[in-house]
Order: sequence, then C-alpha cells, then structure tokens
Amino acid sequence: MPRHFGPYGGAFVPETLVPALQELDGAWRAARKDPAFRAELRRLSRTLGGRPTPLYFAARLTRRAGGAEIWLKREDLVHGGAHKFNNALGQGLLTRRMGKHRLIAETGAGQHGVATAMIGAALGLRTEVYMGEVDMERQRPNVDRMRLLGATVHPVTTGRRTLKDAINAALRDWIANVRTTHYLLGSAVGPHPYPSLVADFQSVIGKEIRRQSTAAFGRLPDLVVACVGGGSNAIGTFHPLRRTRVELLGVEAGGVGGRGPGAASLTRGRPGILHGSFSYVLQDHDGQVAETESISAGLDYPGVGPEHAWLRDTGRARYVAVRDRDALRAFHWLAEDEGILPALEPSHALFAAVHEARRRPRRERIVVTLSGRGDKDLAVVTRAAR
Amino acid sequence: MRLGEALAAARRDGPLLVPYVLVDRRRAHRWTALARALREGGAAAVELGFPFSDPIADGPVLEAAGGRALADGTRWSDLERAARAVAPILPTAVMTYANPVWHRGLAPALVRLRSCGVSGLIVPDLSYEESAPWSRAAGVAGIDLVLLAAPGLASSRVGRIARRSRGFLYLVSRYGTTGVGPDRASDDLGRLVRAAHAAQPRLPVLVGFGVHDAESADRARATGADGVVVGTALEQRIARGDGERSIARWLRTLNGRASD
Repeated sequence: MPRHFGPYGGAFVPETLVPALQELDGAWRAARKDPAFRAELRRLSRTLGGRPTPLYFAARLTRRAGGAEIWLKREDLVHGGAHKFNNALGQGLLTRRMGKHRLIAETGAGQHGVATAMIGAALGLRTEVYMGEVDMERQRPNVDRMRLLGATVHPVTTGRRTLKDAINAALRDWIANVRTTHYLLGSAVGPHPYPSLVADFQSVIGKEIRRQSTAAFGRLPDLVVACVGGGSNAIGTFHPLRRTRVELLGVEAGGVGGRGPGAASLTRGRPGILHGSFSYVLQDHDGQVAETESISAGLDYPGVGPEHAWLRDTGRARYVAVRDRDALRAFHWLAEDEGILPALEPSHALFAAVHEARRRPRRERIVVTLSGRGDKDLAVVTRAAR
Repeated sequence: MRLGEALAAARRDGPLLVPYVLVDRRRAHRWTALARALREGGAAAVELGFPFSDPIADGPVLEAAGGRALADGTRWSDLERAARAVAPILPTAVMTYANPVWHRGLAPALVRLRSCGVSGLIVPDLSYEESAPWSRAAGVAGIDLVLLAAPGLASSRVGRIARRSRGFLYLVSRYGTTGVGPDRASDDLGRLVRAAHAAQPRLPVLVGFGVHDAESADRARATGADGVVVGTALEQRIARGDGERSIARWLRTLNGRASD
C-alpha cells in the first residue's frame, strides 16, 4: 500500500505517534492476507451493515436533467445512514486485532461519529468522539444518536469549532493515550497508512458499482460523481475504477460562492501539510490554514486526501466546486423527484451530476455516490427554505 | 556561531537550559530585553516559536497563546524581526510546524532565516521518515535541523534520529502535548538518552514537554540528559506580565548550574 501518491501523502507527525502508525500499518497488512479477517469483514458488512447497497436508476431525476441517465449508488442505505460504516467496521476489527480497547474519532456531520459509536458498541470497545461545537449545533440528531449508542461526545471549542478542530483534538488525545487507544480516522486524510487504509475499506463502493453497472446496463458507467470533503466516499468510488476509462468527477463545497474559498481545497487551495499529510490545503500567504465555510458540516474541511491531490494533478480525476444554494436545490430535486432525502454532502455531487447529465447524450450513464441520507440535515434545510 | 557549536561549548560549563518563547507581534518592542533576561537566567540558546493555526503537538496554554498571537496579526515577518533582535544576544533556533516553512519553499525559507541570524530549526510534526529533504536544505543554508525523539520509540530508531539530528536532540519527556499534563515523565527516558548518546556522543540531548520548575528540571536531567527546554511555564510568566528581572531570576532556579 502506497505511502505516497506522486509527491503527496507521507506522515508528518510527532514521533510519539510513529510506533502506533507502524503498528496499524502492520496489523492491516497482516489482516488483508488473513482469510478469517476478510470473512468476518464480509459477514458483518452484509449482516450488520446491509451491504451490498443497491444501484438505483433515478428515472424522474434523469427526465428533469434531460440528458444522460442518472443512477444512484445508495450508500445512504448502509447501517447508520452513510458510507462511514464501511471504514468504521474495518478499523474497528483492526482495533480488536491490535488488542486495543478504546476508540477515539473526530466527526464533522456526525455520520462518522455515529458509525464509530455503532461499531464500538457492536465490538465492545469504549468510544469517545470529538466534535466541533458549531457542528454539534447544526447536526444535533447525530449527537443524540452517538450518546444513545454509548459514546462520549467531547465538544471542541477551539478554532472555528468544526471538523478541522475536531481532528486536532482527536490527534492530541491520541498522542497522550496512544498505547491503549486506536484513532479511528473517518476520512482518507491524515498520515500514512490512513489514506490507503480508508480507501481500501471504502473501495467496496466502487467494486459494487463495477459489478452492478455491468449487471444493470451491461457495461461500466461513463462518469462517476462523488462529493469530496476529506474524500473518503469519493476515493472509495474512484479507486476501483481508476484504471478503467470511466471519467471521475469530485465535487467540493463552494460555500456561499463569490470570492470566499468555501471548503474547496482542490479547486482553490495550494499544496501544503495539514494533519499529517502533504496534499492540497486552503491556506493564507503565511501558510496558516484558512477558515472554511460550507452549509454541509461533512465537507467543511480545508484539506483533502493526498490521493485526490495526485488524481487532480495527473488529470485522472476532475474536481469542481458547487455552492451551498445549488446543493440545496439538488436536495429538493431528489426529495421531490425520487422520494429520497439526501444528506447535504452528496447533494453537492447530485447538482454537479444533473449539470453533467444535461450536457451529455441519453445513451451515457452517470453514477452518483449518494453517500448519506438527509435526516440529520432537516433543521438546516428547513431553515434555509424560510 | 551555529546552534550546535554554541551548545557544545556551553555544555562544558554545565547543564544546558534552552527556553522557548512564542513570537507574538505585541512583544516586538521587548525582544532585546527578553533575550538579555534569558541569557542572564542561564539560557544557552533560545527557541523562537512561530505560531501555527493547527498546533497538534501543543497543549492548551501554547495553543491558546498561539491563537491569540495569530488573531493579533502575527506574521512570518514578525518572526524574522524577532530573530534579528535576539540572535546577536543568544544562539537562536526557530520552532514551528512544517507547513509555514514548507509554504515559503524549503530552501529559500531556510536561507532567509539564516540571514536573520537563525542557526537552528525544530519542527515537531516532522517525523524521521520525512526529514531527509529538510536535513539537506538546512545543511545547505547553514542551519542545524533539530530532530525529536519520544517515549515508546525503539532504541535503534532513537539512534538513527540522533545521527541525523544537528544542534541537539529534542527528547519529548512523555506521552502528551506541551505543558504540564497528568502523565508524568516517562520512566523510559533514561533508555532513550543512552541510545542517543551511544549513537551520537557529541550531540547534546535536551528534555522538553512538561519541564516547569526546579524539581521537574532536576528529574529530567537525572535521566542523563544534557539539559532541558522550558516553554509553557515561561509562556505563562511572560503572558501574565512578569518583568525581565523576575523571568531571569526564575530561570536561574531551574538551570541546574551551581555557580548561579
């Protein structure tokens, strides 16, 4: 598993964390080769997680766009309501294998926190989740869910009190408790081996797309679209398709639009070092990490996974930014056309997909990874509608 | 004089004390006086800390202080100004996270720092695996790149780190962030100090993180280390408005030199 993606990636961390990262890397390499580990991962993905998730033809949304067919990869139907389960289960099983008994996690939208809390409960691991105060406010239902699942939620009051600050807090906890604790990082970011590890556990998305699209329409899609915050559902979608001719489109959060950076690190950032890896980072001219803003807590992050940085530089994937209000429009389209409430994060991808479908002939097929469901966002969407 | 030469010379006279002071633009008028006070307190060198927006190795005190400094508009140019004022008085190292340096371009940033009198660089989020290009660029610029070692590392790794480190080896005293924490100094420290000295006998080993008074400084030196770094406790004194004389007096209580 690669430590670098072109020049990107690496492990820019205090030495205190190095033994734990090496242990994780070793445990994961051994587990991948262990048929018993793989069988248990498959079994729990199916029986606890509800995999495989369906590939759904969005007929009425396709008609609205008036071009290429739009298909949805229904990660919103995974246990817990988002793709985050895939990675939390995999790392949870690794934690048990390493003999550690405490899990910590960061969360933005709360989906990764919920997934970690679920896995912690199911595997009998004590779970503590760091979440920015601002995010706790705007994703209240997920805070309640985490607590009901037995996790402790620590409010993070530093910085902008969002995802970036939650990662800082989780890293500090890990530095202090690294001997007993596994940091269950939720996105394809951070020091090696996390970007490769998370991509591996999320690749089930792209593998299923490959199989299901062949079954549904006899070939691979022409284009796959996924939203990118840290980029875990996108890398899970892209990774198994990167050596095919399928076009890859990642969609970042453009915020309110205008001159603000939103949270679009790949489209508006520069290479830099944040949270242990070298990738694209939104930053000022002194190298201080910029403050981001997005309507979706899960995309509200100034960095991005290093593999995306390399996919961008090599031109293998394209990345665009979609504004808050366009994501909201796509949210309502999907609700009214298909009876599905999407999370605000994949609503960004949906908007871009509809836009692409419009410009493409009817014979083309687009698959959008619907990474999560929208129940957690009802308050934000209702407020925006007023 | 390079940081390493200065510390090697000072080491012959007794234990080393290296204070860390955060660069905050509101301190711009104090640098010369502060540096003299540190020297008077027995400092062998000084670390100028440049604040970073995401200081993952810092505890609450330094994190808050750095946040305040940035909110007040502290810029890289303030670091350069501070270095120019301090370096004529004490050998000066810069301590900051990887991104602010990387962002300016490694080679030009280091050459420029050298021209401000800086002779050492400490980057807490630079693991050994990532340090080779930094080491090369620092060597070319004439700056000693100080690497860090931490509890839990294998002795062989500490040896490798010590061989690549220049100036001194910064030994993190315990699991945790900077400042006084619940976790006392790791009892493993003696092994780490011996591993470093065995690999690189001439390189001083300084213990930092959690050194805040005479007792904790004595404990750190009892591991066989050549001295200590003190940061958070000094920051608290500067932030609450202690004068230069009081800072010098306090430093003398923990520098471990009988003659003072």
